[in-house]
Amino acid sequence: MKKIWNIALAAMMAVSFTACGTDTSSETGTDTADTPVSSEGAASAGAESVSLNVTTTFAGEDGNAQNFKNAVKAWESETGNKVVDTSATSDENFKTRVVTDFETGSEPDVLFFFNGADANDFVKAGKVVSIDEIRAEYPEYASNMDDGRIAASPAGGVKYAVPVNGYWEALFANTEVLDAAGVALPDENTSWEDFLDICQKVKDAGYTPVAAALGNIPHYWWEFGIFNHQTPENHLDIPASSEDELGQEWVAGLEDIKTMYELGYFPDNTLSATDDETFAMFTDGKAAFLLDGSWKVGGIVSACQSDPEDASTLDTAKLDHFDVTYFPGQDARKTTDLIGGLSMGYYITRKAWEDPATREAAVSFVEYMTSDEIVPLFAQHTATALNNAPEVDESQFNSLQIKAIRMMSKVTSFTGAVQDSFSGECRTSTFDGMPELVTGKKDIAEAVQEGLDTYYATQG
Amino acid sequence: MSNIYKNKKWLPLFLVPAFAFMALYLYYPFFMNILNSFQSIRTLGLPAGEWNDPWYINYVTLIKDAEIWTSLKNTCLMIVVTLIVQVGLALVLALMVDNVKHGTQFFRTVYFFPIVISATALGLLFNLIFLYDKGMLNQILETMGKASLTDWKDESHALMTMMLPVAWQYVGFYFVIIETGLNGISSELYESAMIDGASRWQRVKYISLPLIHNVLCTCAVLGVTGALKVFDLPWTMFPKGMPIKSTFLTGTYMYYQTMEAKNVDYGSTIAILIVVLGIVLSQVTNRIFKEKDY
Repeated sequence: MKKIWNIALAAMMAVSFTACGTDTSSETGTDTADTPVSSEGAASAGAESVSLNVTTTFAGEDGNAQNFKNAVKAWESETGNKVVDTSATSDENFKTRVVTDFETGSEPDVLFFFNGADANDFVKAGKVVSIDEIRAEYPEYASNMDDGRIAASPAGGVKYAVPVNGYWEALFANTEVLDAAGVALPDENTSWEDFLDICQKVKDAGYTPVAAALGNIPHYWWEFGIFNHQTPENHLDIPASSEDELGQEWVAGLEDIKTMYELGYFPDNTLSATDDETFAMFTDGKAAFLLDGSWKVGGIVSACQSDPEDASTLDTAKLDHFDVTYFPGQDARKTTDLIGGLSMGYYITRKAWEDPATREAAVSFVEYMTSDEIVPLFAQHTATALNNAPEVDESQFNSLQIKAIRMMSKVTSFTGAVQDSFSGECRTSTFDGMPELVTGKKDIAEAVQEGLDTYYATQG
Repeated sequence: MSNIYKNKKWLPLFLVPAFAFMALYLYYPFFMNILNSFQSIRTLGLPAGEWNDPWYINYVTLIKDAEIWTSLKNTCLMIVVTLIVQVGLALVLALMVDNVKHGTQFFRTVYFFPIVISATALGLLFNLIFLYDKGMLNQILETMGKASLTDWKDESHALMTMMLPVAWQYVGFYFVIIETGLNGISSELYESAMIDGASRWQRVKYISLPLIHNVLCTCAVLGVTGALKVFDLPWTMFPKGMPIKSTFLTGTYMYYQTMEAKNVDYGSTIAILIVVLGIVLSQVTNRIFKEKDY
């Protein structure tokens, strides 16, 4: 009897093991076996609800997070499909997550992601579908877009991502601080020397000239510092060495940041502060300038609301104290040459494409999100790739957005960010290493060379 | 029924699930980690590309890397802080509470409370306390007449600012362990000593401390190994070793190399260093704080 009891226990263990194994395989089986069933169903019935996995950067404090939620809701009710939204704030962790998802076969069906070097791995692996391939079956796909403005992947030059809204990077200003310091807002005629002079006057008046957390987010200063010694024509080229002409321009750009640090134009705690802290300095009227992207317009507006979640609580008088202008140029770069463009877009993954029902839903979703009606809601004061962009109705915008639109009217060129091609490990020496560079603990030329060495080592 | 306990031939079968779990989620990743430290991995999630050239290059880098030495120095300092502040302060508090007649449970709860708060939440809390502009500490100093703001996260204050919350968080943990050890000492011993005229300090010195020696040894081993693993609170307060990479600990530096710098194979190498360090230090601690039989 006891022997039977033992055998029974052992059998139960074995069964539980088998059950676990069977579960896994049957789950896997479900994935592969269910797919054709549902797709057949979809193909025959044509109206079966599809659950679509979507990952975007429209989350957290992104100015379009709510627009995205609204658009998803509208698409769901229009089509009867479901969206499983796994969007997250755009940062290095998000990029890693996306790359890892592709590697482990758990990529979403639709992805809103960067179209630069960050996407190279899954583009090269053939895990996303090109716009041309989609158009072979859906000729109307992204037909409302100007193809000339859709960026091609750096890995192979093929176009995959359908853009929605563009971005620009420019110099935000707190005019209350400028008035207190007795200086005027820099404009399209302001040179780099003029800007340094303005910074000195702001500093003399007891304010911090530039709100920047060099130990946390040096990205914008890195980009414009280098761009300031280049032209839109050569800014996207990666130097072969820190000693060649381009390399020397990079070194000179970083030297400018070091000079500004030594002159005390950044906050006292710029090496230990977070970006949120220095942004608060700017909105609280303790710093005059903030170099950032178009997405910061929403952040400044939120900072002028007593309830950041409630737009009706906006203090318009406070918002009127903020302006946005061009980053003063030097050498060959014109002050009105900006960093900007259409750096992100909607990808449809190969996994979704190979399942007819999901393919149908994914195409429908991207077409909806990139339609003439939805794109302007997301783009606001930034560029789009639409063939028929609607006229801007200024009555729909707040004072800072209107100032941004007016600034944009004098822009002479938009150039992409070279850091989008110079991503990952190669940035470490000059991004994370920025505090060492500005304090002189590390030689700038050496740090640039270190980054370039890593870049070329990973390109092979 | 008793025969079931004598018949052990089925026993290994019941050990298989736990062993399989450990093999899959601990030993396999560990051996893969050793392998990865010799290979080139550009981004987390990507498969290893090829063998490094030379294959041991990461170990050479490890020796030359100034930041790893900073991390080791800071980790050693964290161990000292753990032993002196966490265990030391916990001992003092436990001895004091052991000598009060009422409210023992109250003090236990108060001192243990920080343990139940997530380290990330504590990190955010202390970030607000040490904030440069409008931080609690700077505001207090301002009301006391200090004219300028102090950057508690600059190079000269950063280590103190980082270690203070870590030490504070775990004092209660060791306090409870030591307090439990003190409760195990028979009150008759203290009564006899009192009759013999022993002062309060003499009772602590000749009765309490010797009888909780083994408990203190356990605390020391836990403290040393715990200090090697500290990650979340320092990372929340000082991401990327801010400022100027001066606050890295071995754990935070490994995370930085893997997740931020995307140097995954080098991160694996640092992970191996941490394991080796853990084994060596726990052995050393075990020998130094050897438990005694009474």
